[in-house]
Amino acid sequence: MRDRTGHPPPPGADHLQHPAPPSLAEVPVSRNNVAELPDRLLAVRAAEGDDDAFAVLVRRHTSRLLALAHHLLGSQADAEDAVQEAFLAAWRQLPEFRHDASFGTWMYRIVTNRCLNILRRAPRALPLDTVPEPTAHDPGSSPPCVAETDAATAALAQALHKLSPEQRACWVLRELHGLHYEEIAHVTGTSEQTVRGRLFRARHALQEAMRPWR
Amino acid sequence: MPAEGAEAAGRQPLPEAEPLAGDELLPCGRPLSRAWEEARDGKATADSHTTRCPYCRQAVDGLAALDEASRALRDKERPPGHSLAERVINAVRAEVRLGALLPLDDSAHDVRIAESAAARVLRRAADTVPGARAASCRLTATGNGTAVHITMTLAAALDQPLPDRAARVRRAVLQAADHELGLAVSDLDLKIDTVLDPAVVSSGGPTKRSGQR
Repeated sequence: MRDRTGHPPPPGADHLQHPAPPSLAEVPVSRNNVAELPDRLLAVRAAEGDDDAFAVLVRRHTSRLLALAHHLLGSQADAEDAVQEAFLAAWRQLPEFRHDASFGTWMYRIVTNRCLNILRRAPRALPLDTVPEPTAHDPGSSPPCVAETDAATAALAQALHKLSPEQRACWVLRELHGLHYEEIAHVTGTSEQTVRGRLFRARHALQEAMRPWR
Repeated sequence: MPAEGAEAAGRQPLPEAEPLAGDELLPCGRPLSRAWEEARDGKATADSHTTRCPYCRQAVDGLAALDEASRALRDKERPPGHSLAERVINAVRAEVRLGALLPLDDSAHDVRIAESAAARVLRRAADTVPGARAASCRLTATGNGTAVHITMTLAAALDQPLPDRAARVRRAVLQAADHELGLAVSDLDLKIDTVLDPAVVSSGGPTKRSGQR
């Protein structure tokens, strides 16, 4: 990360010796240095057709959205398709985006809707992705323990897939992505009371499914 | 953006419980859903009943196996999204929105530039000013010869007087419009509408971020 502009930092500027790790953008800083701008600014630029700004948003949010789509659809390939289509839809709709939610929440909403539509259209058999894969040996845990954790995780993934798409979305957004009721209501286009009900019923069903692992 | 983990829970106290479909009453008279919500969704107003009542506690303990599996599912290593991100970016670049075409200040009046391309250059010029970053940048032909009107909104840090900073942005943008693009600017409206964290934009070049925002 070199300073290309020739501007010396202003007096008193916090000029760190070590560049911060590129945790936000996960990529080297782009030529025109937009990689550390806040989402809101990038979304405004992207709405006016700046694809460099949109590229930063894509790199910043892809992993989280991919995890969400995978949790909802249960298949990596379907999740990648859903996220790609969601970003293209977002690029086209950005000029109409009113910033009544953050860009990240707006993307959650687009991805969730897309996944729910896929699930409602074609309820599918249990995807293979939920079958536990052998994990790398973790020195901190004995193999039987790893196997048991894996089996329990696979059981949860399967139980998750038996829920209605709406219940699954509420549970995944709350428990795996940490959204609040208000945000989940916004993302799923329903009321907070409906979210509470769906979340309760999802927990109830999943708790039953996890009984053998107590 | 949502919190990273599920530990961060509802900041608002939950609405006074209306009965939920499928709910059941615990022997102490409390709905099961309420015991779970208070334990899992960080209800700030959890009362002493929940912490003392053996039935409520037992109901919450019943979530232990589910909690553990949820944690494992949450922390599961997933394929990184880098290659997908690059695919998406390529697909987006194939769909560039050019916007209006604007006249350049050229005697023959037949050279034009796309608004989005010009705006990109002008934003970059504004970005070189320490403590300022461009947000929106719109250009419109005034219809008066080749004159173009520029409207730009800025995000600025408050560590220095704004008028001084705005003046520097104005100089940088007008210079780029003239030297890099060859636009005849009739006027430039600058509006500062966002406050920036000075740590994020302390210099005009690639910035050094200090920790989390």
